[in-house]
Amino acid sequence: MELTINGQQYTVADEPARPLLYVLRDELGLTGTKFGCGAGICGACTVHVNGVATRSCQTMLAAVAGAQITTIEGLADGERLHPVQQAFLELQTPQCGWCMSGQMMTAAALLAENPNPTREEMIAAMRYNYCRCGAYARIARAVMRAAELMKEGAA
Amino acid sequence: MKRDDRPQRWRMTRRGFLIGLGLVGGGLALGAALGLPAARLALADLLGDGTGPPASFPKEPAIWFAIQPDGRVVMAMPKVEMGQGVHTALAQLAAEELGVAWEQISVTQSSSIGPVRDPAGTSASYSVMGLFPVIRETAATLREMLRAAGAEQLGIAQAAIEQGFVIDPANPARRIGFGELAAQPRVWQAPAEAAPLTPPDRWRIIGQPAPRLDLPAKVRGAAIYGYDARAEGMLYGAVARPPHLGAKLRRAAPGTALSRPGVVQVVIRDGFAGVVAESRLTAYAALNDLELEWELPPPFTHQDLAERLAAQAGSGTPIQQRGDAGAALRGTQVIEATYRTPLAAHANLEPQAALVDVQPDRVRAWVSTQSPVQVAESIAATLGRPADTVEVTPTYLGGGFGRKLLITAANEAAILSAAAGKPVHVGWTRTEEFRYSYLRPPTYAAFRATLDGQGNIIALEQRHASGNVLFDFIPAPLRWLLGSDFGAWRGARLVYNIPNLLVTSQTVELPVPTGPWRGLGLLANVFAVESFIDELAHAAGSDPLEFRLRHLPDSDLGQRFRATLLAVAEMAGWRTPAPVGRARGIACSVDMNTVAAHVAEVGYEDDKLRVYRVWAAVDPGLAINPDGLAAQTEGGIMMGLSATLFEQVTISEGRIDAGNFDRYPLLTIADAPEVAVQILRSGDQPFGGGEPPMGPIAAAVANALFALTGERKRQLPLG
Repeated sequence: MELTINGQQYTVADEPARPLLYVLRDELGLTGTKFGCGAGICGACTVHVNGVATRSCQTMLAAVAGAQITTIEGLADGERLHPVQQAFLELQTPQCGWCMSGQMMTAAALLAENPNPTREEMIAAMRYNYCRCGAYARIARAVMRAAELMKEGAA
Repeated sequence: MKRDDRPQRWRMTRRGFLIGLGLVGGGLALGAALGLPAARLALADLLGDGTGPPASFPKEPAIWFAIQPDGRVVMAMPKVEMGQGVHTALAQLAAEELGVAWEQISVTQSSSIGPVRDPAGTSASYSVMGLFPVIRETAATLREMLRAAGAEQLGIAQAAIEQGFVIDPANPARRIGFGELAAQPRVWQAPAEAAPLTPPDRWRIIGQPAPRLDLPAKVRGAAIYGYDARAEGMLYGAVARPPHLGAKLRRAAPGTALSRPGVVQVVIRDGFAGVVAESRLTAYAALNDLELEWELPPPFTHQDLAERLAAQAGSGTPIQQRGDAGAALRGTQVIEATYRTPLAAHANLEPQAALVDVQPDRVRAWVSTQSPVQVAESIAATLGRPADTVEVTPTYLGGGFGRKLLITAANEAAILSAAAGKPVHVGWTRTEEFRYSYLRPPTYAAFRATLDGQGNIIALEQRHASGNVLFDFIPAPLRWLLGSDFGAWRGARLVYNIPNLLVTSQTVELPVPTGPWRGLGLLANVFAVESFIDELAHAAGSDPLEFRLRHLPDSDLGQRFRATLLAVAEMAGWRTPAPVGRARGIACSVDMNTVAAHVAEVGYEDDKLRVYRVWAAVDPGLAINPDGLAAQTEGGIMMGLSATLFEQVTISEGRIDAGNFDRYPLLTIADAPEVAVQILRSGDQPFGGGEPPMGPIAAAVANALFALTGERKRQLPLG
């Protein structure tokens, strides 16, 4: 079956009940999307499906046929980092980094829908992404900083 | 199925770094000279607030540094990057002494065989502290070699060094880049005398917040971890797990596994049954096709373990002794309290993972590990091969926290790869990670103390007990000599000036594997000690800060505690009241010679305990990268808070209940307090950074909770 990932067409084995995460990581080599719990709890595997932050470990291939899928590898515009990535870098946010693709994909989806979130709205969107290194203080600041960067970029 | 008839050798080898410390021989001599109890106390003093493995690294610059033709310097990194920022901090040391611009340096990870082999592994908050002299001396040597070569070429007696150039001081336009010098054929000679080190007042890079070298790849999702390791033609492995802790595989047969499409091989050896398949999901599904019979040990619960600790706590080994606490406590009014902490999981978001390629004459492995040399030895022992034919390359780690010292997945991948003749990746599921890892052990600490008329502590006794932390890593004679596991009692000794003091520690064998968790015993033991000190302060009618300050010794360490406590009190506005409905608590600790003090501000929100703010002052001696240390402090506080508020591993009928985060929830961003960090400087020598800053957090929260409610909570988790 055909998948559209980061604007590119891929043909993968026709197994509609396979979770997207394993296809991305093991079949297509897009290992930026991480395995954390396999149960949709930790958020490490978050990707965008038609712009919506989605747990790829809980998303079967059948559900994404024909959809636009974006992974962390497709978040930047070539060399130019997405404002969320810029902000996470600027504030030196990641520690081990394992959860960070999911954090940034969740943040990018939030800001696409709500470019001007309040702190409460930001927390409500980010609260289902675990970070075991405990980088939460910087994650919170970085998401709000990304919103500023987006405004500056748009101005 | 290929039957493997070689003797079973797949169990872990747990070689001890303490052998390298020379403690066995020296300690035994000490024991003969002083008698065993005195020798144990002397060793406890020596190990005190933590010690690291020996830094036996090469000093030849060519092993550490490669100078590229464009002048860039590539540093061979002995330590692994698990988010603690160690690559950056160590590169800062090198760039400083080499005299290159920060932008000129980059790093490459050493494997188990080199270029810079590190038998000690990355642990104990010791990397920066241990390598501080080594890297600076080695880099300074190289700098002097470059200076001499450049001076010769410029035809001058004395050359200056600036930003990667050798310069004629009389005419700075005459200069030669390091890259150009290194590219010329030349017989390089080490300087006859030790190269001078750059004095602290001339540091350009040490002490500056250098940006982390690993983050550009991490924000793009391009950093490769053990779970991400890939090789041409690789297959995936899965291993059968026992239904209960300690269960033994009595009999195994392939069942219908081989008829499942995508299954390549079933591997059965004594005590081991695994599957190799074309995909991970197929390998795991095929485990259900195997026929397995397990021999079950007697069942137990986590409460049984807690009772075992309490029952044995009275017979511990003295680890701190002054005056006669027993006599001073007799016949006086005694204040007593007992503290408990539960089993806890590391819960690294990257479960353990390894890719192993067993070839006829050598083995290559890519592993998320803190100890590549030990993992290589373990793979060699598993396969019955010479250790020098195994190379383990550590990847980035998706969290370390002490969990990634021993990597069972690497041995499993080795067995499966040897059988399949292809590279095999084993990446544990979250359920395997929860149920088959080693855990942070439960602890128990019973205190008795008495105060004089002025509210000063006259006598204090602590009876501490814990499961193993480091005992599984060290040889039996040393375990006997030490009497108790010094990893387990980290943080249990008191800094305070108490004339009659006795602390004993008992190490208790438990039927569940336990080991190092970030900070070893630090979080649990400081929770107990600093909560009890808070109880005494309240009993004395003293302000908890004043009570601590007046009990500090008049030593260098005492002065550092004083400065750190005063700094955090100032930050938090300790002498001003907390907002209505909230209260503050204070606590402090020392670990790996780094002093930390925290103030936590708590309240209740919808009947739930909430930590609103945490202030932290940390004195690491010297912070190589203050922003990196601030990040470690923030992160340690969050991880410590997660353990303080929520975490405990429970066991029913010999089986760990949690199989995923639904039964073991972690702290989220919604629970996270605002954190303010101040990094102090008390000298020109760095101490521990990754673990010590989290020490006081549980006690600070418990003490704030008491200030809020008047009720003392003596057991974690508090939430």
